Amino acid sequence: MPQIVIALLIIFYFLAKLFWQNKKRKISRNEFLFWLFFWLVALGIILFLKPLDQLVLALGFSASAIQVLLYISVAALFYFIFSIRLRLEKMDENITKLTEDVAINQAKK
Amino acid sequence: MKVFVVIPAFNEEGEIAGVVREVLPLIDKIVVVDDCSKDKTKEVASEAGAVVLRHSVNRGQGAALRLGTRWSLQNGADIIVHFDADGQFRPIDIPRVTAPLIAGEADVVFGSRFLDNTTQMPSFKKKVIMPLARFVNFFFLRVKLTDPQSGFRAFTKEVGLKLHWRQDRMAHCSEILSLVAKGGWRIKEVPITVIYKDFGQSIFGGFKIIKDLFIKKLTK
Repeated sequence: MPQIVIALLIIFYFLAKLFWQNKKRKISRNEFLFWLFFWLVALGIILFLKPLDQLVLALGFSASAIQVLLYISVAALFYFIFSIRLRLEKMDENITKLTEDVAINQAKK
Repeated sequence: MKVFVVIPAFNEEGEIAGVVREVLPLIDKIVVVDDCSKDKTKEVASEAGAVVLRHSVNRGQGAALRLGTRWSLQNGADIIVHFDADGQFRPIDIPRVTAPLIAGEADVVFGSRFLDNTTQMPSFKKKVIMPLARFVNFFFLRVKLTDPQSGFRAFTKEVGLKLHWRQDRMAHCSEILSLVAKGGWRIKEVPITVIYKDFGQSIFGGFKIIKDLFIKKLTK
C-alpha cells in the first residue's frame, strides 16, 4: 500500500507540473496532451493494479502486472535508444557531407 | 599518368613536413586533409608544398580520405594513393604500389605488411589482432587478403569514381576492402614496410570497427 501512495504522489507531482507548464505556455498544446495522456495512463495502472494482475494472469504471464509493465518498458526503452542511435548516425553522415562541401568550396576560393 | 597522394592528418605538425617533403618528388601532387587539427598541421603541410584541405570540424580518417579523394578526382588525378601522416609508411614504397596500376595489371593495389618479413609488428598485434581481423574480414566481408587493415592503397581514377565508402572513422579500411572485393576490380597486393612508432589499433579499436560497420549497415 505505501508504494501505491508514493507512486500516486509522484504522478500527481508531474501532473501538477504539467498543468503549470501549460498555463505558463512553456510547452505546446500537443506536448501537453501527450504527457497528460501518459500520466493518466500511469495513474490508471496504479489505481487498477489488481484487475490488471488478473488480466496479465489470464494472458498467461507468470509475473504480476507491474513486472510485465517493467519488461515492456525495458523493451520500449531499448527500441527508442536504438532508434536515436540510428538517427544520430544519419545526422553524423550529413554533418560529414556538409563539412566536405565546405572544405571543397574553400579550396576553390 | 598523374599520381596524387592523399594524406589525412590530425595534429601532425611534428611529422607532416618531413612526410610531404619525402613524398613530393615521387608523385605529382600531395593533398593533405587537415582533420581540424589543434596545432599548425595546416600551415606546416602547406609550407612543405602540399595542397591542404581542411575539415572545419573533426570527422575522422575515413572522411578525410574521402574528401582528399574527391578533390583529387576533380583536379585531374589518374591514380590516387592513400598514405599516412605519421611517418610509419615509407615513401619509397609508393612506386611499388602504383607500378601495377601504371602497367595496367590491376585496378586497386593494397600494400601488405605480411608478404615479406620487413615489418617489425608488435607481437600481440601480429599473432592475435591481425589473424582475428583477417577472420572477421573473410567471414563477414568475404575478403581474403594477407593484410586485413591496410591503409596504404592505390587505385585508378575509374575505381575512385565508383568507390563510395561511408565510414568516417577507422572502419573505412574494412569497408573499402569489402567494396573493392564486391566491385569486381582487379586487386593486387604488394609488399610494404611499416615502421611502428606506436601500437596503433588496439583490440578495443577492433571491436569499435565491428560496431561501426554493423550500425552503418542498418542505416543504409
